[in-house]
Amino acid sequence: MNSGSRHEPLDPPAGHLADLLALSALALASRFADGATLWCVAPGRSDHALHVAVEFVHPAIVGKPALPAVAVSEPNMTKSLRNFVRSGDAILCVGPGDDTNILDITRRGLAWGAETIWIGWGIRPPNGDGTRPLWLASGQDSEIVRAYHLLWELTHICLEHQVSLSPQTPSPQTSSAEASCQTCADQLAVAEVVSVSGTGASVRTSGGVETVDTSLIEAVVINDLVLTQAGVALQILDNVGTGEAQHE
Amino acid sequence: MNDTSFLYPFLEDHEPDPSQLLADLAASAKIKLDESTQLIGQSLEENTATLTAAAGAIARRLSLGGRILTFGNGGSACDAMAFARGSVGTGWEQISVRTLAADPAILSALGNDLGAEQMFSRQVEAFGGRNDTAIAFSTSGQSLNLLTALRVGRQRGLLTIAVTGYGGGAMANNPDIDYCLIVNSQSVHRIQEAQAHLSLHLRTLICDQASNTGERL
Repeated sequence: MNSGSRHEPLDPPAGHLADLLALSALALASRFADGATLWCVAPGRSDHALHVAVEFVHPAIVGKPALPAVAVSEPNMTKSLRNFVRSGDAILCVGPGDDTNILDITRRGLAWGAETIWIGWGIRPPNGDGTRPLWLASGQDSEIVRAYHLLWELTHICLEHQVSLSPQTPSPQTSSAEASCQTCADQLAVAEVVSVSGTGASVRTSGGVETVDTSLIEAVVINDLVLTQAGVALQILDNVGTGEAQHE
Repeated sequence: MNDTSFLYPFLEDHEPDPSQLLADLAASAKIKLDESTQLIGQSLEENTATLTAAAGAIARRLSLGGRILTFGNGGSACDAMAFARGSVGTGWEQISVRTLAADPAILSALGNDLGAEQMFSRQVEAFGGRNDTAIAFSTSGQSLNLLTALRVGRQRGLLTIAVTGYGGGAMANNPDIDYCLIVNSQSVHRIQEAQAHLSLHLRTLICDQASNTGERL
């Protein structure tokens, strides 16, 4: 056919993707076993978010248990997720590596305590954004669909095989944003500003809302992402996209 | 045996070591990725003539001012949405295409008051015109509400197209259906993946044919 050269049958780096799918499925199964909800976003391709949700809630294979998965619609996905996501939940993002909505969501996922899986293509997201990337050779729909089909299949296998579904499933990449300080060994953490009061702020972290000292950094506003350590905010993270927290 | 053991027959129940499970899962995922790629290639080959003919017929109707209406159930509803969405930069933006599977007010009203069988057929009655095309997505080829909508579409003079699996089911060799694309597989997931690729090809061919006619879209 005359368009065949444009859409050759797909041949992604299957071995690598298969390994990442297995890791992501085990992590997702661990979260489900602990009562998580899976939140799905696909900027500009909401059909994929809906497809993931229906796959988990109403499985095509008879006898599978229904698992809670929800498509989060545009616009204002970040705002919706901020309200919906509880620590321990999971977020599945579908979109290219330079999608600023997803970059923002994966980073905020650290503060919200969410496991974030990213079915993506193109430019890979920078390290430190705390996501599990399932990277595809292209953004063709058939490749995207089979990535989440396999994620669904493997997740159910993990749940049924009753392996130890510990939340400490090894992460495929170390987040620079959550590294330890070399001198004091205290954990660095990403936190989202909930409210501001003088030289302090209430921030949302994966462990809950905490109060931090903000006197070392410039004035923060609600929804800023900050890097904290031992009760002190050390840095305001750059705004990567949707820009809810705007500084003058 | 648990109830997904048929998907991964070489996995044993209650594996004590997660690292072994991860290795087994990755190995089986690789097999399925390869199966999917193979099925996509096979499906393109088997449907080449139908794709080309269907794209030509759709493009002719578009040139006469027709529109495309897509529908399906569940994951196939999402495939119908994806077809309407198209992909950026292909010329698809100029085509009049929308899905009948995305309006919860209409779908819940029809489903509740008239039943699932008429969820799409009533919309085809309301929206379908003589130069329009109806495209149904079904992995089984058996969905009653899709068969009903295609029959109503045929009665109203629409071009009718089905994208199916499982050998086509009741949609294969169906007098209400002008063109039936068939994925020959027994796996719902592999079928949908191949259908997504057939859908991409069909859109590309429609754009090619439409630009060749040089007429109003």
